[in-house]
Formats: sequence, structure tokens, C-alpha cells
Amino acid sequence: MTEAMHLVLILEDDQGIQNVLRMLFEANGFRVMIANTAARGEQDARLFRPDVVLVDLGLPDHDGLHVITAIRTWSPVPIVVLTARSAESQRLAAFELGADDYVLKPFSAPELLARVRAILRRHVRGELPMGVLELGDVSVDMTRRVARRLDGCEVRLTPLEHRILETLVRHGDRIVTHATLLKEAWGPSREDSSALRVYIGSLRRKLEVDPSQPRYIRTELGVGYRLVIHAEAATLALDEQSGR
Amino acid sequence: MSGQSTQSAICMQAAESMSMRIRRVGARKLPQRLKTVLMRSAALRKLDWRRAWPEYLGALTITGFCTVIALPFTPHVGLLTIVMFYLLGTTVGALRLGRGPSAFTAVTNMLAFNYFFVPPVFSFHVDDPQYVFALGVMLIVALVIANLMISIRRHRDTADARQDRTAALYAMSRELAAASDAPAMMDAATNHIGATFHCSVTVLTREDNGRLSPITPSDESAGGGARMACRAVDLDLAQEVVEHGERFIKDAIYLPLLGGGRVRGVMIVSPRCPTPALAAEQLQLLDAFAVQLALSLQRDRLAKTAEAARIAADRVVQRNTLLASISHDLRTPLTTIAGAGHLIAQPEYALNVDRRTTLGLLIERKARDMSRLLTNVLELMQLESSRSALRAEWQSIDDLVAIALRGHEARLTERRIVVHLPSNLPLVLVEATLIVQMLGNLLENAAKYTPSGTTITISAAVQDEAMLLVVADNGPGLPSGDSERVFDSFQRGHSDTDIAGVGLGLAICRAGARLHGGEICAMNNPGGGARFEITLPVATRACESLPTESPLC
Repeated sequence: MTEAMHLVLILEDDQGIQNVLRMLFEANGFRVMIANTAARGEQDARLFRPDVVLVDLGLPDHDGLHVITAIRTWSPVPIVVLTARSAESQRLAAFELGADDYVLKPFSAPELLARVRAILRRHVRGELPMGVLELGDVSVDMTRRVARRLDGCEVRLTPLEHRILETLVRHGDRIVTHATLLKEAWGPSREDSSALRVYIGSLRRKLEVDPSQPRYIRTELGVGYRLVIHAEAATLALDEQSGR
Repeated sequence: MSGQSTQSAICMQAAESMSMRIRRVGARKLPQRLKTVLMRSAALRKLDWRRAWPEYLGALTITGFCTVIALPFTPHVGLLTIVMFYLLGTTVGALRLGRGPSAFTAVTNMLAFNYFFVPPVFSFHVDDPQYVFALGVMLIVALVIANLMISIRRHRDTADARQDRTAALYAMSRELAAASDAPAMMDAATNHIGATFHCSVTVLTREDNGRLSPITPSDESAGGGARMACRAVDLDLAQEVVEHGERFIKDAIYLPLLGGGRVRGVMIVSPRCPTPALAAEQLQLLDAFAVQLALSLQRDRLAKTAEAARIAADRVVQRNTLLASISHDLRTPLTTIAGAGHLIAQPEYALNVDRRTTLGLLIERKARDMSRLLTNVLELMQLESSRSALRAEWQSIDDLVAIALRGHEARLTERRIVVHLPSNLPLVLVEATLIVQMLGNLLENAAKYTPSGTTITISAAVQDEAMLLVVADNGPGLPSGDSERVFDSFQRGHSDTDIAGVGLGLAICRAGARLHGGEICAMNNPGGGARFEITLPVATRACESLPTESPLC
């Protein structure tokens, strides 16, 4: 239980959600700290140096986005945003300000837990080694830029596809926004994300068992893409999204 | 065809001669306003002379002709017979010529007779006073004959013209009756009035706020005349006509359109080229046209009002049903949640772990049901009310289908999912969340109404410059006769089932498709099972061509 050491700071004003989250994380071996307001949350973040921060975007005193900006001025601590379904533009803004992930309200407890674990793992281990990436039945040799399927058939990735995959791998299980992907794969001048969709499609055809129902390269609507490397996170997220 | 054109030519001629008559006779009687028109047309008199000189030439020709024919007979016949020649000439002339030229013929005939035949010949001098008397009688008889002929001719022309106009009026009424909306009526009126009066027509209708606005023609090509007419419309004058409800004539003729005791608009008739002013009879005809148009517009307005009232009533019914359904569908799971929570919370019940787990799962599931319902309700309300703008972005259909499938995977575990997406599908400009929700609702619908083991097929294709999305299954299919009704809110395929959820899913699909300018339709597959087709006539963009990669093995 290495997670016993992890401290979760939760910025949330609804008492019911506070209770649920406290129980959820404590039952899973986290230490939990709860702040009712943005001001208090910022202060606690500085004082207690949490391992992960959960921010509700609708706080009573300040916008949650404000808190993200404030924390990012001094800390790279992972931030997970709790957001309502309708606030799509706000979600994107949160990512641009430096949030690492989001869950939609009403969120499910296991999904949130899986997201937090994935983020911590990435944060603790740092970047993935650029060796062989295992995605279920397909393994990708990142140095040779070749994907090998279970039947032994190998498919070469184009340089652009490779750069996109590399960017996704670098961000681990976290969401990568369209803007980031474009910047890192094409360079700063590229702004049109339609080409990105096309290349993601071709990557899926090479890496996914069923490209029409991708398991690993996930689209996060209106935000970007996420490479699901850890099966645990993948299945949990799946169950949750489908309402089990 | 040629018969028609000669008829219309005669009609035109008649109208001209009529307008001349009115100018002379009617100036005293017609209202002051008309006088201004007549005075304007006085400037056109010169034009009349220019048009009339061939007729006077014709008159001289008739005289010459009579003389040439009569001359050889001189030694053999008496002067009386010669007079008859000339009178015949006058009569024939009056059949074709106007009043002035006819009178001119009478005079020239008399003079020619005097010069060539009355002794002493080749002189205007008359010896015998008896001949002076005869010449006078001859002139009077010729004038009377000419006058009679012209009167008969005029009566015939008037009758023709009247019949022609009645036919025009009838044709327009018939077309107006067939027209379904205001622009179509306006097209009909423009074409008919324009053809009858050789003028262009503009119709302005009064809005509810009292302002005048043109009716836009329904078809670009149909309203060529109307567009031309839009050039010089005096809006202030039109406004004045609306206020006073009276006809006004300036550069153009402004006619009020009366309907239901109020002025509903103004019809502006402007001549295409400077023509002689319209006769009183033509003005009356114009009035008749205006009344016809006004009545039709009134009919259109009443129909619209009735339609709006019906829609409003429908909406009230729908709102009430919505409230009833929602409150029922929210209260039921709430009862479960509250009950289960109570059971877990009370220590004295001493539930074992299994039972607690069951209750906990029940709470979670019911809460999710409620959440889904709320999402649907909010989305539908947003779609049906204020929302008019799409938040569209370039999306790939593959992505949207994948997300929709991912969201409903758990409910589809017992169905076989087949996805047919051509690899060269273009990107589409759509609102992603909406399309995902529509696809999700169709999948959920399929999951609800088909037994396990059913195959659900999702496919997409570009068809007639639109994106066609199809969700089909091989289940029991739609109940017959329900294929359009399923899209109404709160409709369930089978009315007395225990299937959860108000029937909002398909209503959202329809609203979403329409917001994209498209449509959704439901049908049964020829081979059995239900089939939903979403057509999205949205912008597409072909994918960038990718370097093709062949497998290395």
C-alpha cells in the first residue's frame, strides 16, 4: 500500500460530495484533506503539499479555474477537475490552465479513484521509458517505430504517427489537448485539428484490435485524446461510463 | 398563339383610344389626383401626333384612291354615283382609322369631289349654288357615318377589353387561391398585374409593429419583375397610404390592401416605361386586383394565426405531459433511493453485507437512471427553446461512433455490435456532443426494445452531399404505423411495458438532426428489425491523404 502516503486535497463545497469523497479515498488508503472555499484550498495546498488536488469548478468564493492558475504558479502537483456536464468550454479552459484530468458530475467513485491512481503513478514514476509500449495484443517498439501485432505481423508507423504516439505516451494516462498534440507533433504553426483526427484514425487502425471501438487511444470530446496504458484504469473507466 | 397576340394588340389599341377619350371627357369628372396624371400625360401629346400621322396619310390615300377610281367613270355616270364612291371611302376609312383621320377623310373627300368633279372641274370654285348645298350634305353624311362606325368599333373594343380583363382577374384569383403562402401570392399577383398593365409591382405588407416590409418572393427566378420594381418605392408615401387607406398616384400608383377592416399593406404599381396614364376603368381594374390580393393575404394571415394557435396549444399539452412524466420518472427512483438509504442507515435492521451491497447498488443504479433522465430533459429543453446556434467543429464519424459505443457498452453486452464505416469518410462539421448523444440514444433504444442476441449495425455513408448515419437492428422492429410517432416526446413503442424512462431519447434525436438542418426517420428493415436513418446535410471535408503503409511481413 504505497498509496497510504498519498495526501488528497479536495476543494469542494457540497457536504454530501465531501463525505462521499472522504470515505472513498480513506477506504482506499489515502489521507484526505477538504477545503470548502478556493481561498482555503490555495492556502492548504501551500501548507500541506498534497500529492493530488481535486478541484470543483463551482466554488463559492472563486472560480475553480482561478485556483488552478494560482497553484500552477508554484507547483506541478496533479490537478483533477470536477465539472458539470454542460460546462464544456470551462473544461477546456481548465486544461489550458494546467489541469491534468477531469471527471464529469455526477461522477462515479471508482472512475475518480482510477483517474487519481493513474495520475499519481505517472507523476511518481516520471516519464515512460521509450522502449517497448505494450497495448494489449499490440506492442510498439518506440525506437524502431514498428507496431507488432499478436499474429507477428509488423506495421511501420509514419514519422508523424510516431510523434503523435510519443506525445500521448509522454502524458501517460492523462488527457492531451488538441493544441498540445498539434504543437508537439507538427510544430507551433499548425492550428487546424482536422488533420490530427485523420492521423489518430490511422494510428488506431494500426494499433487497435477494433479501430471502430478503440480501447487505447481514446477521444475526449471537445478536449483532446488520452492514451490508456493501464488496463485497470481502462476497464474501470469503461464500467463507470457505461453506468454500472 | 398569333390569335392571342392580335387580340392583345387590339386590346392595347383600345386601351389607348380609351385613354384619349378619358383625357378629353373625363378631365372634369375625375378626381383631382387623376388630373395630375392627365396633366403629366399632356406632355406626351407630341408622341400621339407622331403616332397619328400614318393614319392621316391613310386618309389621303383613301381620298386619292376614290378619285382615281371615279375619274374614268366621269363621262358615263352622274355626280351622285361619284358621291357614293367617296362616302364608301369614308366608311371604309372609319373602319380602321381614328376619329380625327376619319373626319379628315370626310373633308378631303369633299374637297376632292369638289375639285375633280363639280363643274367647273379642276377648281374649287362652285358655280351652281345647288352644288354648294350638295357638298355640305355630303360632308355631314360622311362625318355621321364615320362617327357611327367609330362608335360601333369602340363598343366592340370595350367589350373585348372588358372580357380580357375579367379573364385576367379570374386567372389571378385562381392562382391566388392555389397559392399556399404570402410570397407565392405575391408572385402570382406580380405576374398577372405586370402582364395586364405592363408595369412592375411591389407589395409591402404591414408588420405587427406598423412598419412596412416587402414580401420576399419565394423563388429567385419568379420575381424578376418584382425585383425591378423595388428600385424606386417611396416608403413615406406608402406609409401615408396605409394610414389613410386611400389610393394615391404619383410616379407610381399606390394602392392600399384592405383586409379585416384594416390596411394590411400597399401594392405599388409602377410603369416599366413612361406610358400614357391609366384610364379610370383601368384604375378600377387595378383596385379589383388589389382587393383580390388583399383577400388572399388576409386568408394567409388567418391561416398562420390559426396554425400558431394550434402549435401553442400543442406545446401546452406537451409541457404538461412532460411535467407529469418527469415528476413520475423522478419520484419513482427517488422512492427507491430513500428507502434503500433508510434501510442501510438503521443499525437495528442489522443487514448483512450482501444485502447492504444489493441496496447500495440499487441506489447507484437508480441515481444513474435519474441522471440520464435529467440530461435528456435538459438537452431537449435546450434544443427546443432558445438554442439556435450549433457549436459545430470538424469531427470524424469514427470518433463519434466510438464514443457513443463506449458510453453504452455495458447495456449492449448482450447484443452483437457491427460497425461499418468506410475508411474514406470525410470529416463533418457537426456538434460532437449532440451527435454522440443522438447515436447513444439510438443505441439505448435498440438495447431497450430488442431481445438479447440481437445484432445492432451502425453504418455511415455520404449520400447526396449529406452524411447518412444508420443504426439498424434485427429485432422485432417498429410497431406498424408508429414510424413517425416514435419521435414525439413521451412516446414509447409499446405503451404498456415496464421499460424505464420517458420517451425523450428519440425526440432528442429528431431535434438534434433538425438543428443540423437534417432529419431522422424510422422504418423497418426489409429483412425485419428497426432501422433509424439520420441525414445530416452538413459541410464535409475530405481527409488528407495519408501515405499508405504496407505491413512489413
